[in-house]
Amino acid sequence: INHIVHNGGLYKRPFNEAFEETPMLVAVLTYVGYGVLTLFGYLRDFMRQWKIEKCQNATERDEQKDFVPLYQDFENFYNRNLYMRIRDSWNRPICSVPGAKVDMMERVSHDYNWTFTYTGRVIKGIINMGSYNYLGFAQKEGTCQEAAAKVLSQYGAGVCSTRQEMGNLDKHEELEKLVARFLGVESAMTYGMGFATNSMNIPALVGKGCLILSDELNHASLVLGARLSGATIRIFKHNNMQSLEKLLKDAIVHGQPRTRRPWKKILILVEGIYSMEGSIVRLPEVVALKKKYKSYLYLDEAHSIGALGPSGRGVVDYFGLNPEDVDVMMGTFTKSFGAAGGYIGGKKELIDYLRTYSHSAVYATSMSPPVVEQIITSMKCIMGEDGTTVGKARVQQLAENTRYFRRRLKEMGFIIYGNEDSPVVPLMLYMPAKIGAFGREMLKRNIGVVVVGFPATPIIESRARFCLSAAHTKEMLDTALKEINEVGDLLQLKYSRHRLVPLLDRPFDETTYEETED
Amino acid sequence: MALGSAWQRVSWLYYQYLLVTALYMLEPWERTVFNSMLVSVVGMALYTGYVFMPQHIMAILHYFEVVQ
Repeated sequence: INHIVHNGGLYKRPFNEAFEETPMLVAVLTYVGYGVLTLFGYLRDFMRQWKIEKCQNATERDEQKDFVPLYQDFENFYNRNLYMRIRDSWNRPICSVPGAKVDMMERVSHDYNWTFTYTGRVIKGIINMGSYNYLGFAQKEGTCQEAAAKVLSQYGAGVCSTRQEMGNLDKHEELEKLVARFLGVESAMTYGMGFATNSMNIPALVGKGCLILSDELNHASLVLGARLSGATIRIFKHNNMQSLEKLLKDAIVHGQPRTRRPWKKILILVEGIYSMEGSIVRLPEVVALKKKYKSYLYLDEAHSIGALGPSGRGVVDYFGLNPEDVDVMMGTFTKSFGAAGGYIGGKKELIDYLRTYSHSAVYATSMSPPVVEQIITSMKCIMGEDGTTVGKARVQQLAENTRYFRRRLKEMGFIIYGNEDSPVVPLMLYMPAKIGAFGREMLKRNIGVVVVGFPATPIIESRARFCLSAAHTKEMLDTALKEINEVGDLLQLKYSRHRLVPLLDRPFDETTYEETED
Repeated sequence: MALGSAWQRVSWLYYQYLLVTALYMLEPWERTVFNSMLVSVVGMALYTGYVFMPQHIMAILHYFEVVQ
């Protein structure tokens, strides 16, 4: 089936996004695997209950046995019996800067992952395909580090107050002006934590009587902020503009549920790049819909700022749109700038309102000065204001790395989700045993990857997620690709049947049928 | 050695079986339990097939009037 989008010239470049369907045999075998694990989980729980085996996880105390059970739901069952068995693929301790190569402390477990001990050896030079280091600013030498060290010796590390009381440094003012200039908006405000930016500011923008239209796969921080605000939340299918338009039409026509009054505000929550799927939001269509139905748009550019666009200014730059069309531009400094924290940009009245009414501004400690300086230096580098072309070279290197890596993986026959231009590359694994096996085999070959399983993804669609970086050289990528190829053959991960159904973005004509499946 | 490469092939197939049935994640005694139950069920099925196959084939041939 070809999905045709009559975009009326909204897109200036081809939008290639594909999510290959799960092969039926693989889905059945995945369920078989989960069935076996569930049966053995029940057996182990039975043995723990009847004291045949020592119980090593948390249980209620004897006095609490008659109260409502705390650990009987599915999540705790999954945690005890499935997650614990392959727990060594997560929370791995690293002991160097998370650049293109990282050092890791080796650990072993003698009781099947209930406890770990360190052998004392440090595994050096692991190729890091898991850190959100898109432009390679996680470095321990270079201009950013020197500037941050100078500011650390000048201001110290702690701020000891909130923004509203005594924590408003001149560095923060300088950073906010720079962020506003970088994004192309009137004004911006920065916060110490990216998650808190979303969860504490959405309640300040919307309240009861407002409507939030949020994408199916939005991040936990957006979901938390939406729920805390008390507004009505409606979900539209992931990146599906027909679903969003239907919801907008219903909202305008029918109004609030019982009283039929018009909604006070309609806010659309989308993300720039969705980190579990690697898909990019269809921003031109969202903006067109927003203008047609007179609602507001909140764009979370956590993964896309610095990583997309010819000059690194995010998804708005990638599509060539006007930044003033997006009402609230939010992003984080954790991913591309090598620092920590978040920002919100928009019109001056909005930001002045948030300075007084946001929970983060009033209660949270402001950003630490060396972190602020790291952001200032890296942002100036990306914009080219420090006099060199290093920033532009990094942005281009990331785009080249993305295209090359994705093309090679698809040629090898893996199922890769997402848009061709997104630096987040999910590789589908599906079966639960392969999650643990992939993580361990890649570590044996000195490559560190992040594997993701149930609560973060649907239960059969577990995946390995690669995050590319401008710091990866072509040799590193080639080594990584060779190892992934070997592990793919060893574990039989090459499920793709080249049934890519690319989403067409040109009008339907008589030659369209020739581009279907092979 | 042909025996060496055959052993490697069998070992790789066993590894695939462990991955698909998620026995890879289980402890050795759990693998023993599952494998013995599987072997006993398959063994019983094969034995039953061996014992009753002649009777079943004669019944089918009788139904299709190939043999009286």
